[in-house]
Amino acid sequence: MKGQVIVENLKKIYLSKQRTGLFQSRTTEVEALKGVSLEIKAGEIFGLLGPNGAGKTTLIKCLTTLLLPTSGAAWINGYKLTEEDNAIRASVGCMLMGERGLYWKLTGRENLDFFGALYHLPAGERRRRSSEIIQRLHLEEIADRAVESYSSGQKMKLAFAKALINDAPILILDEPTNTLDVPSARELREIVQTLNQEGKTIIYTTHIMLEAEILCERVAIIDRGEVIAQGAVVDLKQSLGREKVIRLEGVISESALRAVEQLPGINRAALAMLNGHNQLTVVTAEESNLLPRLIETLTQHQALLQRITPEEVTLEDVFIAHTGRTLADNTSLQ
Amino acid sequence: MREFVYHPPTFRQKLDAALAETRLRLINISRYPGQLVMEIIIPLVFASMPMLLGRATAGADAAANFEANTGTTNYVAYMLIGANIFTIVTSAFWHVAYWLRFEQETGTLESIYLTPTSSVTLLSGVALHSAIRGVGSALIAYFIGCLIYRVNPLQGDVLIALLFILVGLIPLYSLTLLFGAVVLKVKESNALINLMQWVVSFLMGIFFPIAILPKVVQLIALAFPPTWMINGVRSALLGVGFFFGEWYLDLAVLWTFLLITPYVGMWVFRRVENNLRRNEGMGQF
Ligand SMILES: Nc1ncnc2c1ncn2[C@@H]1O[C@H](COP(=O)(O)OP(=O)(O)OP(=O)(O)O)[C@@H](O)[C@H]1O
Ligand SMILES: [Mg+2]
Repeated sequence: MKGQVIVENLKKIYLSKQRTGLFQSRTTEVEALKGVSLEIKAGEIFGLLGPNGAGKTTLIKCLTTLLLPTSGAAWINGYKLTEEDNAIRASVGCMLMGERGLYWKLTGRENLDFFGALYHLPAGERRRRSSEIIQRLHLEEIADRAVESYSSGQKMKLAFAKALINDAPILILDEPTNTLDVPSARELREIVQTLNQEGKTIIYTTHIMLEAEILCERVAIIDRGEVIAQGAVVDLKQSLGREKVIRLEGVISESALRAVEQLPGINRAALAMLNGHNQLTVVTAEESNLLPRLIETLTQHQALLQRITPEEVTLEDVFIAHTGRTLADNTSLQ
Repeated sequence: MREFVYHPPTFRQKLDAALAETRLRLINISRYPGQLVMEIIIPLVFASMPMLLGRATAGADAAANFEANTGTTNYVAYMLIGANIFTIVTSAFWHVAYWLRFEQETGTLESIYLTPTSSVTLLSGVALHSAIRGVGSALIAYFIGCLIYRVNPLQGDVLIALLFILVGLIPLYSLTLLFGAVVLKVKESNALINLMQWVVSFLMGIFFPIAILPKVVQLIALAFPPTWMINGVRSALLGVGFFFGEWYLDLAVLWTFLLITPYVGMWVFRRVENNLRRNEGMGQF
């Protein structure tokens, strides 16, 4: 089926040389993927989340035909991996290795045009699509300059643009916000969301947990070559069986507390005095859209809110629960 | 969103992709114009060395001695042809090896392997660019050389000479596929190119007729298509004698190479490619 990706028990073993001296080495096996199975649905943003060295890039390289898997099978857009590789290549747009995949001596536009030709687009369509993408990513000012003169963020954006040139139903992005600054990363995520709304299936690799939470409906968490958890972000969090806690601080009256207790979806609510102001702790099993209703109810009851600290279960907690380790040193959102 | 249906590329689309590669190479080189000048000067310097050496050692008898061994007195044109065909041959090897190696190191090789265009299609684009550059600068260098040394560049059967060059290009670039496969495999190009240049210049007899080589080496040389190319051009222009007596017989041998070598080259190249994919991939260097 178009837009769908099925991966069954995919394994990849690298043979790598361990250097033992200047001219001596010993061959060892690195099992980068230990039987990965995934199902990515057409039209979703699917997150591949995992710490450094988890095997994310290896998985993507297998799915984009750059590497032959050691065993296992996969279907991308309905085409079988290793048997219909050219159809897979044509039907996937991929951003891998960022700026390294570009010709630095050419301009941005020349790069897009060249790759368009390799995707067999006719010259007219190539030109039209290049301009369209350049506009969409706001690259007009730099599009006709040699890529070597770009900043690393601009190169990254062009690498993203290159992934769009064949207008493929599936877009695979390997840590696309690497080296982008905060606003650029946000802009790129917004574009990814728009592309998804236009119907593209998106596989989004990241080691930044919050990025996956913001963007993805479903994720697979990969660690040391294995999928340790897979499913909807909401379900994964709930699978931990923890209730969600929201803490609100400010001037909050007893009547406001009673109104909050009446709201559907509230398990418990308690009011305490803290450093001269009130702290309201709300425990709920329900996700998301509770917070706006909570704030609305409180302000209707003349509460003055100074601080809201939702203590949500995060994907990081899911990772910790499965592995006993934290996801990465820096999982904060750019 | 449009529905995606995959159609295998038509010949036209493959040609388009190959030409895009040619264009890319030409744009790239146009951004280093100094190199093009060097490509014309080098064969001239290269041809001058044996010529001057010949004059120094054989003195006034140089032409007569040379004729006894080669069948022509025109050692100037002989050397110029040798050096310039050598330029065509080595630049073919050089351009293909450099293309693969450079793209592997910069990272663009993986980018092109993400696309449905096959490496052989791209290689033909690289080959076209390389042939334009190699043959172009060889012709220019030949004419300049003839002007400097005051010999007639257009003697003998010019068309037959051109035919030998054109027909020889296909087996030549098929050999570069083999060479490219080795480069990918051992992940090295500079030392390989150096070694290859000496072997090639020796085998194809850039400054001497291969008849003076030992029999075994002659046989190896005859299995190397550029040897037929260089001898064909010299025979057509200077009358040094075709290997089989007639130009069309020699050309037929080149045609045979043309029909066989591309398949051998592609087969070996694809095997190396798949080998790399089975392990660490094309991108690692
Ligand atoms: N060519 C190779 N030879 C041997 N081992 C390799 C090779 N390439 C990758 N590996 C190993 O495979 C494992 C997975 O690597 P991979 O690049 O897929 O991780 P990743 O999840 O993309 O990490 P990151 O977040 O750092 O990009 C790592 O342990 C890595 O060292
Ligand atoms: Mg990676």
